[in-house]
Amino acid sequence: MQRDQQAYDRGVTVFSPDGRLYQVEYAREAVKRGSPTVGVRTAESVVLATLGQTRSPLMEADSIEKLHDLDGQLGVASAGHVADARRLVDYGRQYAQRERLRYGEAPDAEVVATAIADFIQETTQTGGTRPFGTALLVGGMTDSGPQLYQIDPSGTPDGWRAAAIGDGSEAIRSRLEAEHEPGLDREAGVSLALRALVSDRDQDPTAEELDLAVLDAEGFDAFDRERTANAMADAGIGPGS
Amino acid sequence: MPSGPDSQSMHDPGFGSPSGGHGRERPTDRQSGVDRRTEFQPQVNTGEASDAPTFETGTTVVALTAGDGVVLAADRKASLGGRFTSNKDAEKILRVHPTAALAISGSVGPAQSVAETLHAEASLYEARRGEPMSMTALSQTAGQLLRGLPVVPLLGGVDDDGGHVYELDGGGSVMEDVYAAGGSGMQLAYGVLERRYDGVRDLADATEAAVDAVAAASERDTASGNGVTVATVTDERMQMEVADEADVDALEPVGDGDSADESTGGNGEVA
Repeated sequence: MQRDQQAYDRGVTVFSPDGRLYQVEYAREAVKRGSPTVGVRTAESVVLATLGQTRSPLMEADSIEKLHDLDGQLGVASAGHVADARRLVDYGRQYAQRERLRYGEAPDAEVVATAIADFIQETTQTGGTRPFGTALLVGGMTDSGPQLYQIDPSGTPDGWRAAAIGDGSEAIRSRLEAEHEPGLDREAGVSLALRALVSDRDQDPTAEELDLAVLDAEGFDAFDRERTANAMADAGIGPGS
Repeated sequence: MPSGPDSQSMHDPGFGSPSGGHGRERPTDRQSGVDRRTEFQPQVNTGEASDAPTFETGTTVVALTAGDGVVLAADRKASLGGRFTSNKDAEKILRVHPTAALAISGSVGPAQSVAETLHAEASLYEARRGEPMSMTALSQTAGQLLRGLPVVPLLGGVDDDGGHVYELDGGGSVMEDVYAAGGSGMQLAYGVLERRYDGVRDLADATEAAVDAVAAASERDTASGNGVTVATVTDERMQMEVADEADVDALEPVGDGDSADESTGGNGEVA
C-alpha cells in the first residue's frame, strides 16, 4: 500500500488507480488540523465563529485574523493553513470589487463562493501547483435570505444551514445537527455557534481566543472583546461557567 | 483613387454616419490595471481616441416606463449619412435579455455587435446564477460594452423592481430615466413625449405615446421613417410589433386621437 501510494501522491494532477487525488486528500488533512470554525444561518443573518490558537502568551491575539470582511457585506472564516486562506480571501475581495464594477451591484455569497471554488479547483488540475490547504466558510445576507457556503480543498462549494470545518468538526457538526433549527433569531444563532464550537473541548476558551462576527442586511459586524465576552456569558461558556 | 468624398460613408451603412475615423484600436480597461471587463467584447474596430467619438445619428428611438412594463419604439429607416435610404425595413429594437431590449441609434455594425454581446452576457449570467440579470447589472454591462463605440442606444427592460429605461452612449455613460428619446429625431420625439408622458397610465397609453413620438419625428426628420417597430416588455416577456407607414395608425389604440391625427395624418411621404 505504502509503495502503491507513493507513485500517485507526488503530482497533484495524477490520479491514483482507484480514482483518488492524494494531494487533495492531504490538503483535507491539513484542514482537519486547523482550529475549529463554525457557521450558523439564522432567520436574518449568518453567524461565523472561530477559535484562534495563541501559541504563546506573548503573542497578540488580535493579530490572528481568522474572520475576514470581504466587501462590507460578505464574510469569510477559514480553517487550515492561514497563509493559504489569506490568499483566497484576497482573491474573494478582488472578485467582489470586480463584480461591483461590472454590474453595479454587490455579489452575494453564492457568487463569490463559486468564484473562489473555481480558483481552488484550478490548483487541482494544473501542473506544478499544490492545492490550498484550507477550507472556507463564506456567509452573507441577501434579499431572499441568509447564505452560507463551505468550500473544501477540492474546489467544491456547498450550501449549508449550519457548517463546521477544522479540528473536531465532526463532533461540532453532530451538535449543530441536533440543535439547529430554521428561523433562529440572532442571539440564538450566536449562542448555538459558540456552544457548538466548544462542544469538543475539555476547557472553555477565553474571549481573546474566540472570533465572532454576524453578517446581516447591514453587512459585516465583527464583535470586539467585550461583546464576545458578553455573548459567551449569554451562551453559558467561559471561565465562569 | 476613384473614391469621392462620400465613399467612406457609403461603405458604412448606418442609422447615421460616424464622422470619426475607422480602423482604430478599441481602448481596453486592461491597461488601467483594473479588470472591469465583461466576459465578451463586441467584435468591432472603432475610434482612434479613447473619448467617445462624435457622430450623427439618423434615426428615432423612444423608450417609456409604464406601470410595471416598458415600451420601446423605433422607426425603420437605415440611411447612408442621412441622405440615402439604404434599408426601409431596418430592425432597430434588438432583444438582449428575456425581458429587455436595446433600441439602437448610431452605426449599425457596432450596435448589432453590442446587442449580440450583451445578449450573450445576460444568458451567461443567468446560466451561472440561476436568475435573470437585473436591469442595474444589464445597464452597467451595456455601458462597459459601449465605451468607445459610435452607438447611442436606449435600453428598456423589466426586473423585480419594475420597468427601467436607460440612456447610454459611446462614452460608457448609463443614465436612468422614466422615458427617453434618441437619434436625429429625438427633439421631435421629445416634443411629443413631454406633452404626453404625464398622461401615461398603462402599457396601452405608453404604446400610443411611443408610436406618436416616432411618427412625429418621421414626418419632419429626413433620416427617420418607413414605419414603426414597437416592443412591449412585461415582467414575463417581450413582444414586438412592426408597422409600415400605412399601418402606423392601426397600431395606435382607437380614441384619444387629438395628437395622433396631426402626427400621422396623410400629409405626403416620410422622407
